[in-house]
Amino acid sequence: MEPGSGLLQRRGAGGGAGGGRRGPGLGSAGGSPALSGPQARRRKQPPRPADFKLQVIIIGSRGVGKTSLMERFTDDTFCEACKSTVGVDFKIKKVELRGKKIRLQIWDTAGQERFNSITSAYYRSAKGIILVYDITKKETFDDLPKWMKMIDKYASEDAELLLVGNKLDCEADREISRQQGEKFAQQITGMRFCEASAKDNFNVDEIFLKLVDDILKKMPLDVIRNELSNSILSLQPEPEIPPELPPPRPHVRCC
Amino acid sequence: MAAPGSEMAVAAAAGPEELVCARGRNRKAVLCQRCGSRVLLPGTAIFARRELFLPSMKKKTALVASSDPDGDVLQDHWLVDDMFSFENVGFTKDVGNIKFLICADCEIGPIGWHCLDDKKSFYVALDRVSHE
Repeated sequence: MEPGSGLLQRRGAGGGAGGGRRGPGLGSAGGSPALSGPQARRRKQPPRPADFKLQVIIIGSRGVGKTSLMERFTDDTFCEACKSTVGVDFKIKKVELRGKKIRLQIWDTAGQERFNSITSAYYRSAKGIILVYDITKKETFDDLPKWMKMIDKYASEDAELLLVGNKLDCEADREISRQQGEKFAQQITGMRFCEASAKDNFNVDEIFLKLVDDILKKMPLDVIRNELSNSILSLQPEPEIPPELPPPRPHVRCC
Repeated sequence: MAAPGSEMAVAAAAGPEELVCARGRNRKAVLCQRCGSRVLLPGTAIFARRELFLPSMKKKTALVASSDPDGDVLQDHWLVDDMFSFENVGFTKDVGNIKFLICADCEIGPIGWHCLDDKKSFYVALDRVSHE
């Protein structure tokens, strides 16, 4: 199932359609500072305090360990035999960060590795994007510019980006140096970089928590309450942006 | 939180008293039987009776082979109307118009059932989880 196929209806009619993307440079964090009249009327229930919901997607070429990262973050269940994704669509995970409870909806895009096959709806609704390559497979690193093109084309401008060089446990087979990964991330505005091992559970929790922290830091608390909790996790595509015509992104992230 | 309407509809169902409070909600936290991952906090779900077929927990292939009769018809469930009521849960890809619920951590399952035709009903079978 795809994010746009409407498992959940957008709660509060039009909550994200008009409430997001208000000003250049602010993106969806540019909402009204206080709960304004129309917003208040739109929403049936007040948001639960300290209950944030963020959508994170994991992308990258085939076999880089996207699913392992998702599973590893969720618990100590890494299984070497579990190489391919057996039909898990997405997960809801609660994390606590700086005293806040945050529910992450994590989409693993495994099985859709052809760049153009991942629906744009995944990108549009994501507040965090984890781009993964395999440090032991140069071709997965060489694919990164193609993934960046997709991000530039479809993702929200203010989505947090994190580049992950996975399979740090296979140091002996390393083909891409840490410096190469760092250099790639430095070319892209606001992109963080780290290396990790889903197998050894090295840096995996940190990856997700750091990403969530960055997302939260970017936006004032009231914006999170007013908008994120009701709209960002909607599985419906933004109605004002037809999939065929993604808005051009400023080329700040291009190399 | 469940919508008031659905609460009224199912609150009449009497469940096992040690698990269901007077308001028809779960007294205890709902956990994964295998890894203890927290699925629902106490008081966040409503006890509901409905006959639902869940494929066997033993093999993942049971999910895929829809003709495979291996599984159970289960009647007692915890019901929530919003997927974000869950602490941790995973959703399988669509099997027809059904998504099965699994443990978000160890991926054992199915522990529950969701029909894409009813966007406000997410069932977790009492028999497929533990309570604490």
